[in-house]
Amino acid sequence: MPQTTIYSAPPRSPLVPIPGVATHEVARLFGRSAALAGVSLQVERGRMVALLGPNGAGKTTLLRILATSLRPTYGSALVDGIDVAERPELVRRRVAYLSHAAGLYDDLTAAENLRFAAVMLGCSDPADAAASALAAVGLAADADRRVRGLSAGMRRRLALGRLLLARPALLLLDEPYAALDADGIALVDRLIGRWRDDGATVLVASHQAERVTGAADGWARLAGGLLVEVGGAGVSVPAVEPASAPSGTGVPAAGTSR
Amino acid sequence: MRADLAIAWAIARKDALSEVRGRQAVGSTLFFAALVLLLFGFALGPDSRRLAEAAPGLLWLAIVFGGLLTVARLHQLETEDGALDELARYPIERRAIYVGKAVAGGAAMLVLGAVLLPVGAILYGLDLVAAGLALPLTLLLGAIGFAAAGTFYAGVTVRMRAREVMLPLLMLPVVAPLLLAGVKATGAALAGDPFGELAAWLQLLFAFDLVMLVAGAAGYGYLLEE
Repeated sequence: MPQTTIYSAPPRSPLVPIPGVATHEVARLFGRSAALAGVSLQVERGRMVALLGPNGAGKTTLLRILATSLRPTYGSALVDGIDVAERPELVRRRVAYLSHAAGLYDDLTAAENLRFAAVMLGCSDPADAAASALAAVGLAADADRRVRGLSAGMRRRLALGRLLLARPALLLLDEPYAALDADGIALVDRLIGRWRDDGATVLVASHQAERVTGAADGWARLAGGLLVEVGGAGVSVPAVEPASAPSGTGVPAAGTSR
Repeated sequence: MRADLAIAWAIARKDALSEVRGRQAVGSTLFFAALVLLLFGFALGPDSRRLAEAAPGLLWLAIVFGGLLTVARLHQLETEDGALDELARYPIERRAIYVGKAVAGGAAMLVLGAVLLPVGAILYGLDLVAAGLALPLTLLLGAIGFAAAGTFYAGVTVRMRAREVMLPLLMLPVVAPLLLAGVKATGAALAGDPFGELAAWLQLLFAFDLVMLVAGAAGYGYLLEE
């Protein structure tokens, strides 16, 4: 049985709960520029936290690291105490990620896309799970339409439906309101409420501060790859010694390249 | 293991569906491969002996061209709309992704071979019936090996900007033993195996398939990381 790597710095009392998300000086370089330049952040389990900041602030990079799509160049990131770089296969079972790209197959129908995702996620009845998810996002009538013919908003809804196939412990939503009409926006809010009721930790990245901060427990603001401000409940900067970057690595100033 | 096979099958099925529904891509690959046979047939002239001697090499040349397009396209499906990232984020074994895509690639190559063999028979005057089961077996082993190598190298190049150029550059030197064995086994099968060399070439094809499948399944996971 593989051992789960548990977050161990700083030393914790057994009574102190493991945070849903903990990053320690996490940095990601693309070439010579740093999209994320050392962010330490802690989010309590079951909380909803808004990640705010302008384009290029590092929000997407942070979410992609937590989703195991990117490996951090320095530092560490943990989901429920599991290191995303050391045990990504365990983290993937706990995380669902709505990215900018819908990640759909154009030549498959909406139902086929979700059935495929249901098989990948280990659903016991993929057809039933897909049908339920399609109904939940208002696409039941479009189940047999190929994705190529769907509008941007419908593709976004379908990607949201895919998140409903699993019961993740951590939801990572990157600009979830993009391309959606008023009904779609209300749908996202309903789904977030549903996930929160299930006890999931939710991180929502958006440059629309007013839209997400109302529903969120707390918020963290990024700029130029750095964490500049946190506020509200459930989110904090952990009081740890900063992990030292290897000497001479010369992490350059934060940039915007992805 | 059973779950891995179910996942690999779902990936292969998804790729096959996308491939069949993207009719233009399938049609252009088949047309291109058949055109290669046709043009070489014209270039070699009506000498039936000359045509028969060149046929094994030309058949494999057409299969390789068509196969390169096929394996590249199967990965291109994943890069559209960020599907590769999504696939890599599922909590599944990486080797299942590799096997699924290799199965889809192998199946596409078998279809390609099944179309090209009769075309080659007509153009070059080959007696496919006389070749017996040795010819389909050669095609099957060749398709498995080519798809195994192609899936791995398509994974290597999928995030590169010049992937269309890099895929054949990286892959063709590696599949050289497979192509040599495929051409020789096809030639021996069509000629009725006069020198008793067919079994040796088939063994080489089988060994290549085995090595490539094991190496590909072991290494493919690293290609998905960014």
